[in-house]
Amino acid sequence: MDKSNALADEASAVADNTGSTMDRRDFIGLAAAGVGALALGLDGCRSPKAIAPSDWVNVGVIGIGSRGQHMMRQMLRVPGVRITGLCDINEARIAEGRKVTGAQTAAYGDYRKMLEAHDMDAVMVSTPLGLHADHVTAALDSGHAVYGEKSMGRTLEDCNRIRDMARHSGKILQVGLQYTYAPWYQEAQNRIRQGKIGKVTQINSYWHRNNNWRRPVPQGGGAELEHLLNWRLYKQWSGGLFAELGSHQINFANAIFGGMPESVMASGGIDYWKDGREIEDNVHAIARYAGGQTLQASYITTNRLEGAQERVYGTGGSIELTHTEATYFEEPWYPNSAIPPEITIQHKLITGPTYSAEQPYHGKGSSPIKGKADDVDLKACESFIDCIRQHRRPAADENAGWSQGVTVALCNRALELGRKVTLAEFLGAPAAS
Amino acid sequence: MLEDQISEAEVDPCGARCPRCGEISGPRFNPPPAARPLCSRSHRAMGTEFTAYIDAPEQARACLQAVFDEIDRVEETFSRFLASSEISRINRHAADGPMVTDPEVFQLLAAAEDVSRKTGGAFDITVGKLTRAWGFASRQPEIPDAQALAAAESCVGWSNVELDPAWRTVQFLRPGLELDLGAIAKGYAVDCALDVLRSAGIHGLIDAGSSSIAATDEGFAGDWTVSVANPVDSSRPLCEAQLGGRALSTSGVREQSFVRNGRIYSHLIDPTAHGVETGAPARQVLQATVLAPSSLLADALSTAMFLLGHEKGSAALEQFQGCSALWAYSDPEGIACQDHNGPKHGFLPWKEGNHG
Repeated sequence: MDKSNALADEASAVADNTGSTMDRRDFIGLAAAGVGALALGLDGCRSPKAIAPSDWVNVGVIGIGSRGQHMMRQMLRVPGVRITGLCDINEARIAEGRKVTGAQTAAYGDYRKMLEAHDMDAVMVSTPLGLHADHVTAALDSGHAVYGEKSMGRTLEDCNRIRDMARHSGKILQVGLQYTYAPWYQEAQNRIRQGKIGKVTQINSYWHRNNNWRRPVPQGGGAELEHLLNWRLYKQWSGGLFAELGSHQINFANAIFGGMPESVMASGGIDYWKDGREIEDNVHAIARYAGGQTLQASYITTNRLEGAQERVYGTGGSIELTHTEATYFEEPWYPNSAIPPEITIQHKLITGPTYSAEQPYHGKGSSPIKGKADDVDLKACESFIDCIRQHRRPAADENAGWSQGVTVALCNRALELGRKVTLAEFLGAPAAS
Repeated sequence: MLEDQISEAEVDPCGARCPRCGEISGPRFNPPPAARPLCSRSHRAMGTEFTAYIDAPEQARACLQAVFDEIDRVEETFSRFLASSEISRINRHAADGPMVTDPEVFQLLAAAEDVSRKTGGAFDITVGKLTRAWGFASRQPEIPDAQALAAAESCVGWSNVELDPAWRTVQFLRPGLELDLGAIAKGYAVDCALDVLRSAGIHGLIDAGSSSIAATDEGFAGDWTVSVANPVDSSRPLCEAQLGGRALSTSGVREQSFVRNGRIYSHLIDPTAHGVETGAPARQVLQATVLAPSSLLADALSTAMFLLGHEKGSAALEQFQGCSALWAYSDPEGIACQDHNGPKHGFLPWKEGNHG
């Protein structure tokens, strides 16, 4: 692939809900398909035989942990993609990575050496969060398109470095916000944009796990290897639960509310897993947006009744999103309710027995998503490769990634200070930690 | 700092008999009395219950979680019931033309194809629609009518799945085909879970419900025995087997079957047969147990050996290195057993002839 081509002019793209940009062809395809069929690249071709040698994309990977291996498998399902380099400081991971590629793929212990190789068009960065800034900026600076895992960066400075390098280099950066490419999320956004649930006033986001989040350490591995394998538990590398669990949901809230929150209050602690970890085992945030909307976010590691879900509350209805589907709930009509008149007319006065007084609603909703979906990570990879081939800007580009990454960092700053922190204050006073 | 121990009270003793119900519901392993207690946990996945027994008291929780995460990963890749799995994606698109998949999926499909070829099609990952036509998938089995059976048979045939290793593509040569890796993926999940333990330097054993069982290494479980379930009497084992570094898998009528006019119809359906065989044969295969170098191979071969029976199965087994098999047949006097590979088959002790 020729890496010198500039991205397609943003003016020819259509703004989407992420506050980023989206290619017109994607937008039209999305609207026509209803379920957001993403371009597979090369007109839906799934066979690599039909792909011209010049359209093959060679990818190097920095960070071959469990996430990196998962994404490598997805990348290898995209027609016309080769993985030509593996980089990790843990030699055991290189062996695991070669098992994934099914080949003796070139291996590197130093990412700078890999970036000097001349056989790569793109780099996938799936290293600990605290290393994203170094790795993503180096990959962009060396002329590669980059797929950088979420969150964009651990701190405000990290996010600024990555965004600025993406703009300076002119290279494609797609941040690993894969639910941007999930058909049911796209359809939910479409419905919300069309006013189908009235004015959205609040989103409640949960990612509740019952899991100590620890990885086993090989016998005799020592503290250094333990920190390396369990990097998510240590502040030097990790953005904690807001980053590791909350990123996708915070990104979605920013998209729905049209920007970043004006202020965040947060709380949390190490209250159950008192095992030497440094990051909180439960965190909660209330974020206020400019339009008077609220995001309530809760991420815990001691109970999974709620699982991972988001509830979008509008004056005329609600949408519940999970990792597999979106479900629409009608809001029952009352004379003094906030339901917009057009929704009342549209649904011919909904008075059904769906909700009972102040009791929680436990009945069925109607699913807005039809058809079966491919893995969202695969969809994100397909879109990334298509962006490289078509020289177009990803939906989850550096702008969407910066908004999400900085919002996560803002949540962590509010958690650290134990008080409300405004975005203006945060942007004016860069994080020291 | 790494206080991650599971208490003695949480340790399941392992034995030939289930400590709760006293029955033997599948292969069970029996550590020697001198072995120190192992940490164990069970996890529901792939329609069965996986149990991991590990020798790692210092970080049992993290190890068990890693094992079950890996089993879940295999399920999320190979389950035809999950819309986002790679197998579901292949089922949706492979009839449209060759589609590329990742090396892991391709290698498992190639392994399945190899077993299909060497067993004359007795093992077939396209048999799912036939299983559904018989009602076994919905657990309401019944002899299907001829039309439904013919329709299902037209959508079956491993040779209609074209794999191209040069491009790593899979293509269905006939519309209506559907992959169902239920007879090999559980064994593969055991292999993958054992790799997780080996990577962490942990000794252990994985038991996939009633079907497959294997250990990380021969040194760990070499002198342990596995009880092979009795297909007609759950109160005592059919025999015992020594893993000796191999994996063991059992397939049989215990899992799902029904009887019509003296004939047993099992959920393991022969994809090479056409129509419905009727009449009560003098003896029928009740169960096949296979010892093989890998769990995926043991899993796939136990299905094939069940369908082929002793004579054809023994011939087919000659093409696989390091495999043994034991068949249990219905017999007027109880159960009759036949083995492959002579006295070094690995199944001990049992006496030739009737065990009823």
